[in-house]
Amino acid sequence: MTIFTKMSRVIAVLALGLFAVIAQPQAAQAQDIINPTAESVTEDALMEALNGDAQVQGRVSIPDDLSSGLIKPANRGWADTHGGPVRTVNLIAVVGMIVLLVAFYAIRGKIRIDSGPSSERIQRFSATERFAHWLMAVSFIVLALTGLNLVFGRAVILPVFGEGVFGTLSAWGKVAHNYMGFAFMLGLILSFVYWIAHNIPDKVDMHWLSKGGGLFVKGVHPPAKKFNAGQKGIFWSVTLGGAALSFTGVMLLFPELAGGEAGWQLYQVIHGVVAAILTAIVIAHIYIGSVGMEGAYDAMGSGEVDLNWAKEHHSLWVEEVQGKSSDGTGDGSSRPGTQPAE
Amino acid sequence: MLVKRRQRDAARGGLQGFATSVAARPVDRRSFLRGSGLAVGGLAAVTAFGAGTVRKAEAGPTDFSQPIEVKTNICTHCSVGCTVKAEVQNGVWVGQEPAWKSPINRGTHCAKGASVRELVHGDRRLKYPMKKENGEWVRISWDQAIDEIGEKMLEVRERSGADAAYLLGSAKFSNEGAYLFRKFAAFWGTNNVDHQARICHSTTVAGVANTWGYGAMTNSYNDIRNSKTIVFMGSNAAEAHPVSLQHILTGKETNRANVIVLDPRFTRTAAHATDYIRMRPGTDIAVIWGIMWHIFENGWEDTEFIDQRVWGMDQIREAVRAYHPEEVERITGIPGVTLERVAQTFATQKPSTFIWCMGGTQHTVGTANVRTYCNLLLATGNVGNIGNGANIFRGHCNVQGATDFGLDIGSLPCYYGLSEGGWRHWSRVWEVDYEYLQSRFDAVPAKGGRDARTPQENMSVPGIPSTRWFDAATLDAEEVDQRDNIKAMIVFGHGGNTVPRMGASKIGMEALDLLVVADPHPTTFAALHDRTDNTYLLPISTQFECHGSRTASNRSVQWGEKVVEPIFESDNDYAVIYRLAQRLGFADEMFKNYEMVQGKFSMEPTAESILEEINRGGWSTGYTGQSPERLKAHMQHQDQFDLVTLRTYDGAPEEIAGDYYGLPWPCWGTPEMRHPGTHILYNPNIPVADGGGGFRPRFGLERDGQTLLAEGSYPPGSDIEDGYPQFTYGVLQSLGWDSELTPDELATIQRIGGNDPEAMAAVSWSLDLSGGIQRVAISHGCVPFGNGKARAVAWNLPDPIPVHREPIYSPRPDLVADYPTRDDGRQFRVPNIGHTVQASAVDRNIASDFPIVLTSGRLVEYEGGGEETRSNPWLAELQQDMFVEVNPADAESRGIVDGSWVWVRGPEMDSRTRVKALVTERVAPGVAFMPFHFAGWFQGEDQRGKYPEGTDPVVLGESVNTVTTYGYDPVTGMHEGKVTLCEIVSA
Amino acid sequence: MARMKFLCDADRCIECNACVTACKNEHEVPWGINRRRVVTINDGLPGERSVSMACMHCTDAPCAAVCPVDCFYTTEDAVVLHSKDTCIGCGYCFYACPFGAPQYPRVGNFGTRGKMDKCTYCAGGPEADMTEAEYVKYGSNRLAEGKLPLCAEMCSTKSLLAGDGDIIADIYRERVVTRGYGSGAWGWRSAYGETVSV
Repeated sequence: MTIFTKMSRVIAVLALGLFAVIAQPQAAQAQDIINPTAESVTEDALMEALNGDAQVQGRVSIPDDLSSGLIKPANRGWADTHGGPVRTVNLIAVVGMIVLLVAFYAIRGKIRIDSGPSSERIQRFSATERFAHWLMAVSFIVLALTGLNLVFGRAVILPVFGEGVFGTLSAWGKVAHNYMGFAFMLGLILSFVYWIAHNIPDKVDMHWLSKGGGLFVKGVHPPAKKFNAGQKGIFWSVTLGGAALSFTGVMLLFPELAGGEAGWQLYQVIHGVVAAILTAIVIAHIYIGSVGMEGAYDAMGSGEVDLNWAKEHHSLWVEEVQGKSSDGTGDGSSRPGTQPAE
Repeated sequence: MLVKRRQRDAARGGLQGFATSVAARPVDRRSFLRGSGLAVGGLAAVTAFGAGTVRKAEAGPTDFSQPIEVKTNICTHCSVGCTVKAEVQNGVWVGQEPAWKSPINRGTHCAKGASVRELVHGDRRLKYPMKKENGEWVRISWDQAIDEIGEKMLEVRERSGADAAYLLGSAKFSNEGAYLFRKFAAFWGTNNVDHQARICHSTTVAGVANTWGYGAMTNSYNDIRNSKTIVFMGSNAAEAHPVSLQHILTGKETNRANVIVLDPRFTRTAAHATDYIRMRPGTDIAVIWGIMWHIFENGWEDTEFIDQRVWGMDQIREAVRAYHPEEVERITGIPGVTLERVAQTFATQKPSTFIWCMGGTQHTVGTANVRTYCNLLLATGNVGNIGNGANIFRGHCNVQGATDFGLDIGSLPCYYGLSEGGWRHWSRVWEVDYEYLQSRFDAVPAKGGRDARTPQENMSVPGIPSTRWFDAATLDAEEVDQRDNIKAMIVFGHGGNTVPRMGASKIGMEALDLLVVADPHPTTFAALHDRTDNTYLLPISTQFECHGSRTASNRSVQWGEKVVEPIFESDNDYAVIYRLAQRLGFADEMFKNYEMVQGKFSMEPTAESILEEINRGGWSTGYTGQSPERLKAHMQHQDQFDLVTLRTYDGAPEEIAGDYYGLPWPCWGTPEMRHPGTHILYNPNIPVADGGGGFRPRFGLERDGQTLLAEGSYPPGSDIEDGYPQFTYGVLQSLGWDSELTPDELATIQRIGGNDPEAMAAVSWSLDLSGGIQRVAISHGCVPFGNGKARAVAWNLPDPIPVHREPIYSPRPDLVADYPTRDDGRQFRVPNIGHTVQASAVDRNIASDFPIVLTSGRLVEYEGGGEETRSNPWLAELQQDMFVEVNPADAESRGIVDGSWVWVRGPEMDSRTRVKALVTERVAPGVAFMPFHFAGWFQGEDQRGKYPEGTDPVVLGESVNTVTTYGYDPVTGMHEGKVTLCEIVSA
Repeated sequence: MARMKFLCDADRCIECNACVTACKNEHEVPWGINRRRVVTINDGLPGERSVSMACMHCTDAPCAAVCPVDCFYTTEDAVVLHSKDTCIGCGYCFYACPFGAPQYPRVGNFGTRGKMDKCTYCAGGPEADMTEAEYVKYGSNRLAEGKLPLCAEMCSTKSLLAGDGDIIADIYRERVVTRGYGSGAWGWRSAYGETVSV
């Protein structure tokens, strides 16, 4: 990761100016020794002074600051990072996760409701919660696919579909990526507000984790509140990763905010790496929320889950909800779980 | 103000940009251009003018199925004379290719030259004649414009006399245009005719001509390749004459030549020097005398050269003793040891050339500066040979030619002066009666204690310089030494922001009864003032839209072909001058010698026939051999000329064989005589027939008992092996060479002399319209103008031996006491109160209120007043803001940061300009620099709305001359443009 | 095949900007797009040198490496060109370029920057040579006409050299030997992984 240290070491105009300014007073005093030809700056000396990786900065009359950088060797460093490590991280994360999940499915199969579906259903997520989730989910998928297209499209899609299709796809994809980011950010904020209270880690999570969440052994169901430790993990991954992606994404969209080219490049690398990791996590999340576990999808689908599923996976939450209901204001007619979780 | 990226985003953003980018198909050129924002304004502007005759030249892809014509012309910007090769298709200039064959530029250009194609596509050109009515610009027809202007000029003439009209011409004219305009002034009856040479090299012409004969660059840009030591003083050729650096840098590299730059500012030229020496602005004389002190002290002078070819150097040697190193350091800030090294290098590592520009000329001591430079060259024997000389880099593309053709208040074409002899000469060439011309001039009544003048006397009195016309418009009529004040200005191709005291010139413009601006662009003359009526704009085409020759700085004359027809409703100078002359009633007399052809809107004279008339009259300057046919042949065979000697290679086609490129004047005799031109002036090392010569003895034959003729120096093959005076018929008779004249030649001389033997004997080489005297002299290896000595001391000028004089606004009041400016006086029909102003500045302690010395100069992207170049988006993009260079120390003490807005305040009229600060070590502490090409803002006010719609230049800015101040050279009226005082504060 | 390169002899460059306007002129490049520019190092100080810079047509061009849509290609003359049909204006190439060559009609990335534009070494683009379609998108194709880039051809002091890399390196080397100094072949290390040693 020398790229980061390199990039943070951008020595700009000032440094150069400084050398010259220091040299200047002597020259001014002994006026008869100014030989501009002999004193002229040479590329070799300059590069040496800059240690070869900062930018050679000068002055241009065009009012465009970016154009005053003459040579920016560090940019090649970023290009190498982008085309190398970042791409590799993406490849490992995404493909690795898919391979893992396929293996898991092959071994563990679909996790069923041990006690079988009951006839009763319990409200797990309200419409607003589900809106927040799906807003985030849809935008994330679009972002992930369009993002992955930027990394792998030219290797995968271009040879298969040809320049025309790939070009159109990528052009639209870029637009989608730019705009969908804001939808994602909205979903991220909503979900954070809705669920933060339920995602504070506690002792229950330790126990849950010690049992491996019951994922690997049939019939084992460690107790959990509304969100088990695994789900809390997803929450925090999405919250923190999403925040990082949002911040860096905004910087990439508005380069003038990014604090120069080195800043932009740094944000771009962070964006690429975090996106890869988060995508991998989300793939796992999608797996467990759909094909991986019977009854899980309903929570975000209809919002109502099978009571038995709930008891197995979120026993403490069921107790809480049902207790709340019986402790309630005496409106016995209300069905359990009709109240929102909050 | 500017079309900047961010603004463009704001204006465009949104869906349109989105749509063009989303589509996975290319953005076509049109939408790409539209995306630039600039094109939006441009196209909209054209549409706004409606269809009619407005024709937008569409540039675009080359359609290879259409035939391409290649036209050759010359760049219309600086004086280097770069050839421009234009590809024209369907009458549209579609491409510019490198003109590889030109020995001057060898395909290359600077930013301006590489973008000249835009000039004939320019959306922002003036499109049709306009006038101001109640403060609004309205479109009028050419007929109406000419008729109304003519009527008003005649009214002014009736009321206030011919001298009340000021005819300001242009260094952008072709030679033929310049000559025609000068002739127009003669037929109108005034000497108030001037052009940009006044403000660039008038002091050079005066100083150099008074030293050794002619006011021009002695060698050439190409010849600098031979130099061993190259000194630039007050010249930033890298920005002002970029292509010249091709020759200079090659010389520097191949000869390992010394390049010494003496300048207050560390210029782009200085960056390539081997020695950079910073001096205090306005101390040239002290610097040069300081150098010469060391030369004389160490015996480095060239005594043989001085003995043979210089008069008066002993007096200089005496005078220079006062400029010992301590005193020079006190004045200039340069230590003696530094100047000693310069002196040694210049005097001993020869050939040495000395190059100067506006940094030397634009001073109250401009002429004196020039004469000190000449003295340095003379003392070291550095004139008149390969690789040395006074290489005066002139400014505009034809400022040399326009000077030669007398766009000058003090001379007729080709330096014939204003004497009766000169007038009679030209009346013979023009085939009009001398008495007719005389009748056109005013009689001047006695006033202000001065004598009255008859028309005949008045026609020999120099007019008012272009630096003072506004004083002549606003001063009390008693103070102006002509019949009345200036009442009408006719401005052909001259900016209004290149002369100091713009506040005063604004008042002058408003005082006029008539103001006519004939220019491709509305200049400051159209936008600065608050006039409401009697103001006319005439759209003139550029030199790319007409035929004609122009003279580069090295005196080479190059023929330019019309590339395209004049665009929009513009028309060329010849046609417009003709139509004005017609309306004023003297066209028949003035144009009778020319071939008239149908032009765009009217009849017009052909450039060839005007040049032929010049050839019949330009004997004094050797403008007689450059016939249109010879010039065209040179352009056609540019590749036949050697890069360094400028002479043809062996085996060149017969019509150019042996010629120097562009037949640099003097090109003696008739075209048939086939003189090759003169590459290096005053060069006694080659025969006259090959371009050799000596100094011109034009100051008499002896002075103080010493001869003014050369001693023991003469060109090889000369039948007179010594100095000799100019040739006349009488001299030929005394030498017995008169028999060699042909009968026709003799008949001409008889006609001029009126068959009176005495008058015939006085007919000289410069008056003999047959060229016979020149021919015979040269056939004997003699120079027609004689073989004299250069004068180190010009006894007829103020300060015959130049002395240091502090600028009017000096940062050193202590030195003003020792070196005051010259006493007040009257020059050129107006008073010069420089001494009073200087004394008052010292009394009022101006130097402490305005502690920073302000100097000015050029940028490579722009030229002159800058309207043309600031209207060219390719150039304008590169310099979008007027700025002032400030030293970091001065900036820090004033809390000024780089790029921030500041007010630069001047010491006169409470003047101030709002510009951007450029904080740089380029200028010394206590010195600030501003470029002079900007206009369109005045004291903080954006005047964009004052230009006719769609003709405002892309970039506007404050003019430096808003804050520059009083000060005039006593010999030529040159302004002080390089030293004044200012204060800079954050805006 | 020749390996085309640019070499700016900074000891000759006087920042006259002819290269910049020649480029604008030849390709009708709009305001705000600067395919070539002149940068001055140590401006106003005795060490001052100006260097004309544009796309250097790198060996292993980093722009091509990062382009998500693979719009870059290298011609037989080693000129790095790109397809505006494919370009999505993402801006990656700008950040990958050691020379600031890629230019965009708009500065931001939001919405879009527009199609990237850069120096083509006067060699057009993927369209058929010297066609209107090519001119409209990329400007003229001088290489196809047997000419070199106009910026170098019009350089006032013959500072900017264009042509086969070996030949222009020889010219530069000869100059340095003749005059005894040389500030270096600016950008060659970053572009070609080599320099001109004298």
